[in-house]
Amino acid sequence: MSLANSETAKPRAGRPSEQVILFSVGTHSFAIAAEAVQEIRSTDSLSGTATEIENSNIEKVQHTLKHARHSFYVVNARVHFGLPASRPTLVMILRGIRVAVLVDRIERMAEVSFMHQLPHAFIGRERKWYRALAYMGDRVIPVVHAAGFLDEDEIQYLDSLVAARTPAELEGAVRE
Amino acid sequence: MSAAAGSFVLLHIGERRFAFPAGLVTELAPAVRLHRFPHTSSHLLGVIMRRGKIVPVYDQRSVFGAKRSSANLFYLLAECNFGAARELFAVPINGESVLVSGELQPSENVGPEYVAGFIAVAGERIDVLDLNALIASTFSQSTDRDLVLAGVRG
Repeated sequence: MSLANSETAKPRAGRPSEQVILFSVGTHSFAIAAEAVQEIRSTDSLSGTATEIENSNIEKVQHTLKHARHSFYVVNARVHFGLPASRPTLVMILRGIRVAVLVDRIERMAEVSFMHQLPHAFIGRERKWYRALAYMGDRVIPVVHAAGFLDEDEIQYLDSLVAARTPAELEGAVRE
Repeated sequence: MSAAAGSFVLLHIGERRFAFPAGLVTELAPAVRLHRFPHTSSHLLGVIMRRGKIVPVYDQRSVFGAKRSSANLFYLLAECNFGAARELFAVPINGESVLVSGELQPSENVGPEYVAGFIAVAGERIDVLDLNALIASTFSQSTDRDLVLAGVRG
């Protein structure tokens, strides 16, 4: 999968493509690399496996989730992207990082053969949120950075909160 | 980008009338679909697809305070500087654009940074827009602390 400047954006036959999962939050669609997602579960399954993080100053993260002996921080994508209220029904457990993401629904899988660089005119948080833009089915869809949901400082802060309360909680957590 | 004497395009950006050096216009594009997605760059409306390229669209309200109208909407496309990068940028314009000849003259008064000078057209002074200066001044004011949902507001 190559990431080229939009100046040279031309689909080519034979170009390696990337599998992405299209998901939605509110009225907005996003894409994430399929290989970045370990598992997708219903939010119904969270009862009994999710634990509230008390006194979290990070509004988008209010819970941890136990999954396969690991602990994940649950990021509400609606809050992360600053969107109006929505109803998350699914949680995407990401691969290789201790993050799970609450989303409204999964639209479909898709193959993207070309991604456009985010134009330099975008100078805000979206530069951390998105790794590229994809043009699919007459729509421009941002392709999210899996690692952009929580930065290292936020993870350390959350670790300190969780560790202070239940030191055993993080045992077995995935370390990057 | 440097304004030169010669041909200028007269156009309306929001409620303001400007002249823009014709040689710097890449394209005057029709009102194609504006794609929006969440972002915090409050000076941008979203992006358009034009000839296989994704082009960011300026929110003229951020400087000119004007309402955006879909009536007679076009996009002025020009290559602009974004730091070391040079990329296409789109500015929504309303109404007809007219090509005129004129000589760029410096403003006597200190005006906004995005005004490169003026040309005289039928006895009227029309400010000449310096798009790079507009971008530079807008970007310096636009900060990440803005929690404006720039990509989702109307």
